Amino acid sequence: MKAVEFKNITKTFGNFRANDDISFSIEKNSIHCILGENGAGKSTLMKVLFGSYKKDSGEIYVNENPVNFKSPLDAIKSGIGMLYQHFMLIEDFTILENVILGSEITAKTGINYTESKRRLNSLIDKYKLDLNLDDKVSDISIGAAQKTELLKLLYRDSEILIFDEPTAVLSPIEVENFFKIIRNFKEDGKTIILITHKLNEVKEIADEVSVLRKGKLVYSVKRENLDIKELGKQIIGDLELSIVISDDNLQAPEAKAEFEEIDVLLSLQNITLTENGLTKLFNINLDLHKGEILGVCGVEGNGQSELIELISGLNKNYTGLYSKNVRKISLVPDDRLKKGMIKEFSIGENLLMRLPGKNVFSKRLLKEKEQEVIAEYDVRVPEVGDIMENLSGGNQQKAIVAREIKLNCDVIIFSQPTRGVDIKASSFIHQKIYNEKMNGKGILLVSADLDELLALSDRLAVLFKGKIVKIFAGDEFLSGKQNSKELIGKIGQLMIGMEL
Amino acid sequence: MDLFGSILSVAFFAQVLRLFTPYYLGASAANFSERSGVVNIAIEGFMISAAFSFALFSIVFGNPFAGMFFALIIGILLSLLFALFTIKLKVNQIIAGVGFNLLMAGASKFLIVLIFKSSSNTSRFESFYQIPLLKDIPVIGNISGDYIILFSFALVFIGNHILFKTRFGLRLRSAGENPAAGESLGVNVRLYKLYGVLICGFLASLGGIWLASNQNTYSDGMIAGRGFIAIAAMIIGKWKPVNIFFACIMFAFFEALEILLQVSMPDFPTQIIQMLPYFITILVLIGFIGKTKPPAADGISY
Amino acid sequence: MNKRIIVNIVSVLVSIFVTFLLTSILILLIGKNPIDIFVMMFSEVLGSGYGIGQTLFKATPLIICGTGIAFCFHASLFNIGAEGQLNAGAFVMSLVALKLGALPLVIALPASLLAGFIISALVGYVPAIIKIKKGVSEVITTIMLNFVIIALVNYFLIEFLAVKSTVRTEKISDSLMLPQLSDYFNSFQGSSANLSIIFALALAVFFYFVIYKTKLGYKIRALGYNETASKYLGIRTNALTIFSFMLGAGLTSFAGMNFIMGYKGYYELGFSNNIGFTAIAVALLAKNNPLGIILSSLLFGFLDFGGLAVNTEIPKEIMLVVQALVILSIISINKLTEKYLNKQKI
Repeated sequence: MKAVEFKNITKTFGNFRANDDISFSIEKNSIHCILGENGAGKSTLMKVLFGSYKKDSGEIYVNENPVNFKSPLDAIKSGIGMLYQHFMLIEDFTILENVILGSEITAKTGINYTESKRRLNSLIDKYKLDLNLDDKVSDISIGAAQKTELLKLLYRDSEILIFDEPTAVLSPIEVENFFKIIRNFKEDGKTIILITHKLNEVKEIADEVSVLRKGKLVYSVKRENLDIKELGKQIIGDLELSIVISDDNLQAPEAKAEFEEIDVLLSLQNITLTENGLTKLFNINLDLHKGEILGVCGVEGNGQSELIELISGLNKNYTGLYSKNVRKISLVPDDRLKKGMIKEFSIGENLLMRLPGKNVFSKRLLKEKEQEVIAEYDVRVPEVGDIMENLSGGNQQKAIVAREIKLNCDVIIFSQPTRGVDIKASSFIHQKIYNEKMNGKGILLVSADLDELLALSDRLAVLFKGKIVKIFAGDEFLSGKQNSKELIGKIGQLMIGMEL
Repeated sequence: MDLFGSILSVAFFAQVLRLFTPYYLGASAANFSERSGVVNIAIEGFMISAAFSFALFSIVFGNPFAGMFFALIIGILLSLLFALFTIKLKVNQIIAGVGFNLLMAGASKFLIVLIFKSSSNTSRFESFYQIPLLKDIPVIGNISGDYIILFSFALVFIGNHILFKTRFGLRLRSAGENPAAGESLGVNVRLYKLYGVLICGFLASLGGIWLASNQNTYSDGMIAGRGFIAIAAMIIGKWKPVNIFFACIMFAFFEALEILLQVSMPDFPTQIIQMLPYFITILVLIGFIGKTKPPAADGISY
Repeated sequence: MNKRIIVNIVSVLVSIFVTFLLTSILILLIGKNPIDIFVMMFSEVLGSGYGIGQTLFKATPLIICGTGIAFCFHASLFNIGAEGQLNAGAFVMSLVALKLGALPLVIALPASLLAGFIISALVGYVPAIIKIKKGVSEVITTIMLNFVIIALVNYFLIEFLAVKSTVRTEKISDSLMLPQLSDYFNSFQGSSANLSIIFALALAVFFYFVIYKTKLGYKIRALGYNETASKYLGIRTNALTIFSFMLGAGLTSFAGMNFIMGYKGYYELGFSNNIGFTAIAVALLAKNNPLGIILSSLLFGFLDFGGLAVNTEIPKEIMLVVQALVILSIISINKLTEKYLNKQKI
């Protein structure tokens, strides 16, 4: 019996195909893992199933009946429950209140607490959730908060449970406990859909695995044929290292093998960063040199943003030694709308605000600066002086890159510099990054795009769980680039926590 | 010593309990609204409007119960308008509150002049009939015989029960704490915000009605910032009906003391007492006196 | 971009129109003819130098206070505390002016203004630092501070400084009194308009320049638009929050100049007559643009004096209702245009 079946599901956002003709089914009473990189379309597919997103085309069957959920409430009524990555809990409520909200058992004078507690406690005992119903959510651990979310699903008799990267927020012990609970669910006849990108978890628990890449279903395998190496390959894909630099003067960028001690611009020694009891960065040792592009890769959320904030001086709550030989560091942040610009201002205004000197912005000065950017960086604007909100994503990004390079700092951090940008704009940005390296700048390039990292980096650091698990450098790295498939395979394994 | 004796007297105690009423009604009003996530700083305006319309309709109909009926209807209609602005149009709740305060204070000033040809007072009217038997209890007769005072005492328990023991209260609070979470479980969050705002309009109006009934007239400025003190009491009371009760008793004590001092020690600078509620509120907000935290999604349009 | 400006201007005009419409209905309900009332108001106010002068006089503190509030609003700081801030500042301003009365004007006047400014700015510091250190919204703190400040001023005035059996300070030296406009233009005869209006206009123009043309102004608006991005753009957001709050609050103190140096010569309890709240409406109507604030203040000054002009026909208090209607229509029509603009984009 099939608990869920997807038939030709397609979901687009503008020109972006988040789900592209996906078809597969999930057996009842099984644990089905859905794997893929960030942006592969896993969460989108689940939101389509759950009724949060409306699909463009295709059909969904639940328990072999066609369904068309208008909202998550419809899905909940059909016995589907979703455990969100970000909890939907009310901090000021007790666990009990959080769970019963919206489906309260009432008596004449109000909520029937005795009956509610009896029912919830029997669920807690049955699945060994170990929760105290009277605890306030603001006082409980993340693991307990997650169990509270589970209890919400159980209380509503969900038979098909969707877990969206449930272990990302848990400590190792909590993860173990969580898997025990999931197995109990399965024994009890429930169907579990687990979204993850951790291969070791898949190995431990999956009955069947589906891999999504770039919106498509690329691979499906049952437990008995499971091969972790193959899965790793399928997730990352068969990348061909392409030459991204298209300038006539450079055929392929030269990577440097050796750096002089004297050229060190930044130096991190034994840096550790802890936030709310979670270790975000652990014992980081890293140098950045003049004329170097230091690449940083890793699955998102493994410490990249913390590292960037630390180096750029936005977060000073670290331990360890951070020394810099530069006055200012410029930064192209990963999220251009939220962090990269004031979208209500024009290119010229965004640039001048950041440039030292000039305290009065005359119309002429603004125009002059804006035209400089437009000419040098080939930025297309509806009209000179238009606010940045009205530019296309690629042009916004080029304008931000232009701004940060024009600050002329000795160190420039690029975080996801070409995310969501078309090929032409991204090769243009790559060219500019390379030029800055040749100008003797030290560049930190943080990216999820291995292509980009391999093409540009002189050295490449791999982050996993806040630790630098390896820095590829020197001949190993340079010769590795010749045989990129093998190198990418290695990097991919490191990124998901496998030992080489 | 004479002063001290007066404070310990039963009459003084009775006075505190009477003065408590408008504070508690106003503070409960603000609390129901904020528990649903809507900040209403126009409590003052609602009290003004109700006090005035109560006086007006009591005079027109010659019956305070008719006056109360119409004052409450007007209060609820105005809070419906406030809900339209804050819940439907999602305008900034603070600015809407400033606007409503100006509107209701301005309108009653205007109407007094227009209707009563006086810049400050309506004419006088018959107040409520007191509750038979209860009004004849010695010493506390003017408390036990007063419908609204009795209601405000009962409200301490009713309000607490509704907010914390019923389905209605749970859902209302979810709207003020995390509306997205409530909605994901099928709670009609905006409807509960509407309930919160309507209850607020009703209770604040009742507070205004009591003040006018107590004086047998409406005079301009008689609310005298009680709507804001009520908000202060709600904050100090940590958005909990029982704690708010104690905050209101404290403020009523200050007011009774102020009245007493004006008579017994005319030179005493009563401004210091007048500013105490606001000053204490700031101290509480900073965390000098206890810790206090508004509902998590208070004031945020959803 | 041009379209956005046009839509904004249209929305302001629509709000004013809606207000006039509602006011007309109100007047009709009373049984008067709104057209007669409006004609009477316009001819009384704009038909004489006196009327125009009084409108200018009423607009002056609104321009000043509105500019200060707008400065805070640009940084997304909801300063509801202008009433308290300006009373504290004006009170101290009058005291310093009293003390320095014997000194030449060029020293005494700036010194009194500076003293007032500093006091108001300090009152503005309190909610700013509480916001940064404790994360408490400035809205509640400024509302509460209004009452505390006014009670304190009241206390010091009545206990120590007031002229016997009044609620005002003593009169400052005549040498510190600003020239009246009627000294230069005879037609303003009888009105209280004084040189403060020139100061107010200069202040608004200067802060228009600061807000829209300087790096500081851009940083403040950036903070108001997007605090996270501001941090990434290298702005020290906490320091800027304190600075904006103190400067905006400090400016409100100058509103006292019109009354103290330009009109009565003393600080009097209740002189502000809710200017601190009316100025919020003035700033909102002008979308926080100081040049627009000049216009919206003139409109409010016109309404204020216009109410007096038609008082024989209709109680002047109707203008309080009109002011409230302006706020309510501007915020609702702003929201509706916002929705319209967002729809246009998709």
